[in-house]
Amino acid sequence: MSKTEDAFRIDVVDVGCVNSRPDKTLLESLEADNIPVHAHCREGFCGACRTKLLDGEVNYTTDPLAFIDDDEILPCCCVPLSALKIKVPL
Amino acid sequence: MKYTTFNQQSINPLVEPMFFGNPVNVARYDQQKHAIFEKLIEKQISFFWRPEEVDVTRDRVDFQKLTDPEKHIFISNLKYQTLLDSVQGRSPNIAFLPIVSLPELETWVETWSFFETIHSRSYTHILRNLFSDPSDIFEDIVVNDEIKRRASDISKYYDDLIFATQLWQTQGEGVHTVDGEVHTINMYELKKKLFLCMNSVNALEAIRFYVSFACTFAFAERKLMEGNSKIIRLIARDENLHLSSTQHILNLWARGKDDPDMAQIAEECQEEAKAIFMNAVDQEKQWADYLFQNGSMIGLNKDILCQYIEYIANQRMSAIGFDMPFDVTSNPLPWMNNYLNSDNVQVAPQESEISSYLVGQIDSAVSEDDFADFEL
Repeated sequence: MSKTEDAFRIDVVDVGCVNSRPDKTLLESLEADNIPVHAHCREGFCGACRTKLLDGEVNYTTDPLAFIDDDEILPCCCVPLSALKIKVPL
Repeated sequence: MKYTTFNQQSINPLVEPMFFGNPVNVARYDQQKHAIFEKLIEKQISFFWRPEEVDVTRDRVDFQKLTDPEKHIFISNLKYQTLLDSVQGRSPNIAFLPIVSLPELETWVETWSFFETIHSRSYTHILRNLFSDPSDIFEDIVVNDEIKRRASDISKYYDDLIFATQLWQTQGEGVHTVDGEVHTINMYELKKKLFLCMNSVNALEAIRFYVSFACTFAFAERKLMEGNSKIIRLIARDENLHLSSTQHILNLWARGKDDPDMAQIAEECQEEAKAIFMNAVDQEKQWADYLFQNGSMIGLNKDILCQYIEYIANQRMSAIGFDMPFDVTSNPLPWMNNYLNSDNVQVAPQESEISSYLVGQIDSAVSEDDFADFEL
């Protein structure tokens, strides 16, 4: 479970920009900056946190089991590998 | 096509569709056409739990303190959940196993159903603790009109598919008359019944449990019936996984990643599938009405519960490619999330709070760097 050491800029469309935090999942980074994201299981199997990835790359720390489309990610079980542009359902 | 428990023809399960291909022969999991079902099996098995692990003895004291309307809410929900898991403990097996064509999906269905039987067993565990004789509660499930109405809607699509499959496997395709009723059996009709059934199961796993979950967790927020709430947390976690599987099946079909016929049926029956979901939403709202008919409980009322159903329905419907039909964007019951997350960090196996752990897991990955500071 390698988590990235670097902080990346995360552009959340219509909400604002935050920086990812090392040793935190993308979901935890977003929550740390008070960006509301729906989340239930926090382990990649319920799909509640399904988010559109518009630009950038992520790495999964846990295999996602919930259904996600090709342009979607599960922030609860991934870390950014680059700067991201995402759209969270509001 | 006649069902066989061990198909002696050589088949390649990597090119079979999920359903209505050749019957499965060898139960092998070294290769999968759809790897997701293998992953779901492993995850589900790692969630193994027994109702007896959860101490519910304090609930008996709490139950005596509840008001009559609260007792009605609590017991009615348990009855409804008992019904749902009675259906789910057997129906996926009977409906899907005779027509499944992939070994990993076959085992997923069995694993899924088995966990529903654990849920059924836990309702007995809860009720036996509350009443010296819970017979009245169980017997009311088949008499109570509110529950019966839901039962017929849930089992309708299953029964339809099961009957058509039985006719097909014994009589073959064609027009058959049974007890004066004419049934047209062909592959298109069978697949259509399967599609509608899967949508009904998906709606069941997606929203039918959530009204009762919300009530259970609302009691727990008041530090009442906490043993029961611990059990329902484990059930909610399993149901989430089951939901993921039906969402995967529906999406694999709709995106043409499995059986091309199913992709066509998914398009043709989109409105019907949507209606199944919306119907389940309406029934849940009616259920909320029935629960609160004698009075509400602290922290929860009918309106907020209906909003929560709409909020959940929006999420669940968008997951299978439908538009969000309701105008609810924020979670009306934010505390629900505290009960729906899974405790994914295992600190020590003896910790009773940790609900998911794998027994005997050893990390055998060794990199060259591990010996970097090693000197002889």
